Amino acid sequence: MDLQTVTDSLVSGVLLGGILALTALGLSIALGVMRLVNLAHGEILVGGAYLGLYLLRWTGLDPVLGLLLIGVLMAVLVYPLHGLLLAPLSGQGLEAPMMTMFGVSIILQNAFLLFFSADTRSIDRPYAATPVHIGSITVPQIYLIGFVISVIVIVLVHLLIARTRFGRELRASAADPGAAAANGVDVRRVHALTFALGAACAAMGGTLIGIAFSFSPTSGASYLLTGFAIVVLGGLGNIFATLVAGVALGLLQSLGGVVFGDGYRELAGLVLFLVVLAIRPQGLLSGRGS
Amino acid sequence: MAADASAQRVAALAAGLLIVFLALALLSGWFSDYALELGGRVLLLMTLAEAWNLLAGYGGLVSLGTASFVGVGAYVLVGVMNRGAGLPLACLAAGLAAAALALLVSRAVFRLRGLYFTVGTLALSEALRLFMINFQPLGGATGLFLSPDVPGLRGLFLLALGLFAAATILMELATRSRFSILLRAVRDDEDAAAQIGVRPFRIKLLAFVFASVLMGLGGALQGLKLGAVEPYGMFGLQWTVNVLAIVIIGGQGLRLAALLGSVFVVTLGELLASYPALHLAITGLILIIVIRFAPQGLAGLTIRLARRLRRSTRA
Repeated sequence: MDLQTVTDSLVSGVLLGGILALTALGLSIALGVMRLVNLAHGEILVGGAYLGLYLLRWTGLDPVLGLLLIGVLMAVLVYPLHGLLLAPLSGQGLEAPMMTMFGVSIILQNAFLLFFSADTRSIDRPYAATPVHIGSITVPQIYLIGFVISVIVIVLVHLLIARTRFGRELRASAADPGAAAANGVDVRRVHALTFALGAACAAMGGTLIGIAFSFSPTSGASYLLTGFAIVVLGGLGNIFATLVAGVALGLLQSLGGVVFGDGYRELAGLVLFLVVLAIRPQGLLSGRGS
Repeated sequence: MAADASAQRVAALAAGLLIVFLALALLSGWFSDYALELGGRVLLLMTLAEAWNLLAGYGGLVSLGTASFVGVGAYVLVGVMNRGAGLPLACLAAGLAAAALALLVSRAVFRLRGLYFTVGTLALSEALRLFMINFQPLGGATGLFLSPDVPGLRGLFLLALGLFAAATILMELATRSRFSILLRAVRDDEDAAAQIGVRPFRIKLLAFVFASVLMGLGGALQGLKLGAVEPYGMFGLQWTVNVLAIVIIGGQGLRLAALLGSVFVVTLGELLASYPALHLAITGLILIIVIRFAPQGLAGLTIRLARRLRRSTRA
């Protein structure tokens, strides 16, 4: 194992981490604003990958070019689910919505199996495998493209939340739903839109992952956990902390793969997750104490 | 007086349960193979569901890590029996291993409150699964095979019955004891409980270890029945999903809820045995519907129905 391969691997990890951060952003927004532990996050991510695959197949549109469209599509698909499944549970504590999303995740997984078969797929694009050289480092083009796009989307989401009226309502609903409602914010609508936004982020990240790697109906579970690891690492409420945490996790996964072997990549991430949970459940980067 | 009356009730209940168990054990000689197999499965799931309910219902610790302990119990049983030990020793080892795992992770997971605990247990079970897939000395993805012979269907049924009987009796004792009051105090408000002198960590640990041992023994039984263990089957999420489905569909509570939930889940599984994807999808759908429309589960519905009937006959 020479230094070149190791460096390439680590840089790949950093870039991949950016994409993972985008998907984790969806999870983080839902958790922060709606206190929802979205256990269907992995399946929404994989759903985004399938959307990208079939968009390419049926219209020839490159999924990267159509990424925003995929995000919007997923948001539209998911928006009614909030009103149907989650809004009626609003008084019942935190477990009911979580378990409902667990049910949704099971349904989605098996719906994918039924409609798309258990085959492992990949969105085949020329830039998926061709390498790009940054100085002496070689990484697949999609990693770099994915990273750049993810950062752009993350910045856009940040601007949405920080600068727009919807963003203000979102932050108000997160901080104090009662006070927000008293001030005229339609908290239920904000929650539904937040849910949809989170799903859009997950789906867009999923498409990028689908190009860079392969996916199957059951690949969602590991991305759910990676997503949570990033959310916990970065803490809630700070979008850029999520990005940093994503990059850190990507780096750690690569490190795990380099040191222990490829099968141990995800395990490295999970172990780190458990360690951080144990030491500092509110996240490494958040300013608030427990 | 009240203490005598309740002690009498406990004795009556214990006697009643013992009679039911003995009867089932004796009658099992006449059960068909299919009945033994299904019965064994229902009993095993009921044990797991009761253990989970102790943690979640009484303790407020919603765990998505059932698979961790089931898997550990199964692997330890196979490992120990392959080295020549008999079944009783292997079961003891499996239970101890599950307890050890619970102790090991307790310090970490109990720092987490509520949702973080739940996600933490999910991460734990996934981490264990990934580890076992890659760790060659314990069989890796292929797993381990049991060398000694597996007891027949009736033997397995009786073992499952025995485990369930032990679990039920212990649960009864636990829920009628001071322990359950302490546990519920911790569940309802951990900080307040600490302030009045309860030691939350110790109480939670006791419940956690107890539940884990039961899950480990359940896993051991499953490993014994299959004669082989591998990571996807023994550490897989289906254990967690099934127990969750039973508890949500059956309702939170012991015995009746566990029974109704297990019977429902096993029946559904049998009906849709040829369509595994459809089976799981329908399970998910039923989960969502039950959460939305019948949060007390089948047990809750049954109790409401019984009350309504009693009221109508009285009027």
